[in-house]
Amino acid sequence: MKTYEDLEGDGGSNVIGQVTALGEKLRSRLDKIKYKVALMSGKGGVGKSSITANIASCLADRGNKVGILDADLNGPSIAHLLGVGNEVQLEMKDDGLNPGIGHQGIRIMSMDMLLKTDDTPVMWTDADDATASWVSIMESTATRELMADTNWGELDYLLIDMPPGSDRIDNIRSLIPELAGVVEITIPSPLSQHIVTKSITKNNKMGVPIIGLIENMATYVCPHCDKEGKLFDGEDVHKLSERKDIPYIGKIPFDTRVSRSQSGNLFYNEFKDSVTGKAIAEAVDNIEKFITK
Amino acid sequence: MKFLCIPCDVKMEVQVDGIMPEEKTNLAMKFKCKKCGHSIAMLTNKFETEFVSKLGVELGGATDVSKAPMASVGSSLSQAKEELKSTNPEDDLIWTEEALERIKRVPFFVRGMAKKTVINFATEKGVTTIDAKLMDEVREKVGM
Repeated sequence: MKTYEDLEGDGGSNVIGQVTALGEKLRSRLDKIKYKVALMSGKGGVGKSSITANIASCLADRGNKVGILDADLNGPSIAHLLGVGNEVQLEMKDDGLNPGIGHQGIRIMSMDMLLKTDDTPVMWTDADDATASWVSIMESTATRELMADTNWGELDYLLIDMPPGSDRIDNIRSLIPELAGVVEITIPSPLSQHIVTKSITKNNKMGVPIIGLIENMATYVCPHCDKEGKLFDGEDVHKLSERKDIPYIGKIPFDTRVSRSQSGNLFYNEFKDSVTGKAIAEAVDNIEKFITK
Repeated sequence: MKFLCIPCDVKMEVQVDGIMPEEKTNLAMKFKCKKCGHSIAMLTNKFETEFVSKLGVELGGATDVSKAPMASVGSSLSQAKEELKSTNPEDDLIWTEEALERIKRVPFFVRGMAKKTVINFATEKGVTTIDAKLMDEVREKVGM
């Protein structure tokens, strides 16, 4: 009796051919984008999406064409931060879906744009007893489609806003082997530093280039007098970067005006001369230096 | 996955007419031995069907369905916007609204095969409009 190898082809679906074609489609899209940068943190709630949006704002302000892929499929916030509401009409073309155009012309693709209503959660099946086992597979497929089927056009930077945790980086790395690097984001709290350490260790083990560590909410800034005060107790984040041998690329103070981003007008664009605005610009300087060195 | 006809010792070939799941439940896919003509059906339960449906490839080979942008997300995402659910009916036949709705409900990964089955059936009958009644006939014919 013949064995699997004796029979030519596959079961008739040409799965390998289809997977190859999907890879070529993705490649043709990514080849038009100069630099792909992932922004991640171990822990949620450290301001990762807000930092991503304001880094994009700063890059756009410097004349770059910028896009953001919201890879946080279950907690998408980038579209809102950049003023693209759920009500946006999708423009489907034969070769892809047009991205949402946010503040400063930043191109966005996010699950939030694809759902019927603002309060609809991301669910991959209507069945109430059949969700967990294939969610991870579907999330990988969805991440690839969001990247490959979006008409990004020519971009200088594609920023990838990662979900909390470090599991999705495996997926991103396999989709974008030429990833310019990842920016790790933490706040000074010991818990956040503890968790981001795992993410740094994993990226080092996987050989993913780490651009550096950003300390968000390092201090708070009074919007009236620009005086800074301490917001969290914890070990100096510089020590963490030294211990893990990665660059410390930004100390960004908390500014209550950052929340204005929710109206679509990004903090950086409005307050670039503030203490926090200057800190964001310095972090972007370091990212650009790393990438273009 | 491949299927072997043991008496003939040849690979069985996937058949287009044999798959009509309109819900994400059970899948029935036909294979036929081109030497002796013996047919078998591969049956999957809804969990196995869901698993395959998330891979982003089509059973029976790629069709215009998988070439549509966001095909897998549009098909799998519960409560997705309607614009994502393009059916790309690239044929000369007229599809009624109800027929289009029904073909949209076929999971992405077998929708191309299901469309081919319906179109082949309509062409054989000399019918130019595909409606729900015709789709019922197809379902009855393929016996799935």
